[in-house]
Amino acid sequence: MNAVRVEGLKLSRSLVGLISTLAIVLGMVGLLGGITAGVAGGNPDLIAQAGPAATLVWSGLLSGSAQITAVVTILGFGIVLAWIFGREFTDGTITGLFALPISRTRIALAKLAVYLLWATFVSTAIVLGVLVLGLSIGYGPPHSDSWAALGRLWVLAMLSAGIAIPVAWIATLTHSLLPAVGSTIALVVLAQAGALAGAGGWMPLAAPALWAMSGSTAVSLLQLMLTAEFAVVFGALACLSWSRLQLAR
Amino acid sequence: MLAFDNVTRLFRGGAGVTDLTFTVEPGEIVALIGLNGAGKTTLMRLALGMLRAQHGTVRLLGHALEGMHMAAWARVGTLIEVPLAYPELTVRQNLHIACLLHDCNPRRVEASISAWGLDLVADRRFRRLSLGNRQRVGLAAALQHDPRLIVLDEPSNTLDPASVILLREQLEHRACAGAAILISSHHLDEVARIADRVLLMNAGRLIGELDTAGSDLERAFFERIRQDDEDRMATEVAG
Repeated sequence: MNAVRVEGLKLSRSLVGLISTLAIVLGMVGLLGGITAGVAGGNPDLIAQAGPAATLVWSGLLSGSAQITAVVTILGFGIVLAWIFGREFTDGTITGLFALPISRTRIALAKLAVYLLWATFVSTAIVLGVLVLGLSIGYGPPHSDSWAALGRLWVLAMLSAGIAIPVAWIATLTHSLLPAVGSTIALVVLAQAGALAGAGGWMPLAAPALWAMSGSTAVSLLQLMLTAEFAVVFGALACLSWSRLQLAR
Repeated sequence: MLAFDNVTRLFRGGAGVTDLTFTVEPGEIVALIGLNGAGKTTLMRLALGMLRAQHGTVRLLGHALEGMHMAAWARVGTLIEVPLAYPELTVRQNLHIACLLHDCNPRRVEASISAWGLDLVADRRFRRLSLGNRQRVGLAAALQHDPRLIVLDEPSNTLDPASVILLREQLEHRACAGAAILISSHHLDEVARIADRVLLMNAGRLIGELDTAGSDLERAFFERIRQDDEDRMATEVAG
């Protein structure tokens, strides 16, 4: 528990945590607000590109939210996770995380736990932001379909937090921050390429976005579980790498 | 408290440390001196499990490193290269998390702040401290849980003369209380003042002890290094 308190304090007092939270939540709401304003203004290019998101009702807003969340959350969560793990190497503080009565496996688990707690907060803030945006635009109280879509949006954001977990492993293997940030971008590209290539629900990186955008029809629960398993496997690999860590020159 | 028995760890390219054998006993301050790249930090990393030996055995607190109970690490205090302190946290917060990580009572933080003269900067973020103050925070974080084995890599780096005296007093006090202390240093005079024994390291090997009673330590140090280099070259040529 001490390790979780330590990691929680580090993230809560960091500029990286604060700026990333604001960038993800306000950035998403701002982008959605801009798209909605553009569609309402009759911008033909924007309407053509926005597809289902170009309708000025809850379903349009939520469709746009799912599209943007699928990219923004992997990127934002991945960058923060890269910092949580990679900073110990770039700051040199990793030497202080040896010779402690807390194992490095527990420290890595604490980092992942704090990351997931933060991701839960951000995912909830995203959903609340979209809800407030829809209400303030004047779409009225959401119907049951819209509430379900908001729920899927939250699940999509949380699964995106899981998709980003390989970043922790990369930071540990490379003893560095930048390769981990690079791998975050690679994950986004792979997820988008997988969706475009029609890999569908069997590709863990693309499944949550397809599931959320299709209204849960295009991806089965089993396929969605693969994304969760993907996150668990890479979380375990990160912990294993921390337990076996050596600081060779 | 700390014992190396024929410990070897070589890196790709041949650098590393070879056949290290020495002990640090309770109440003893042992200094490690050598030129840059001699292997001092590698030795310390081996002592603390940051590196695994390819040959030989490292024993800490009476146990082989691999078999040490996790709880036993609470009796070890270290500062290797970089203080365990985070730039976004204040001095007090950093010492608090060091306490949590060492499984000690966070009430010790205030005493530690006072002991290391950090009162005026206690609520300042670590990133805003001078290098000397950062080092003092690192030393406070390494020692506030009263470790029985202390391993410090060049602890007097960036310290002003007053802080060097403070460090010396802290280490002497802890050695008197029975702690075993291993420090590395480039400051021969400082080492001569504080250490019970001075181990000489050159090219990844321990080459003996330096007699600190002599009048010209610098000359004695370089003479031993030169002699070792010559012996080594002669051995390589003969081999």
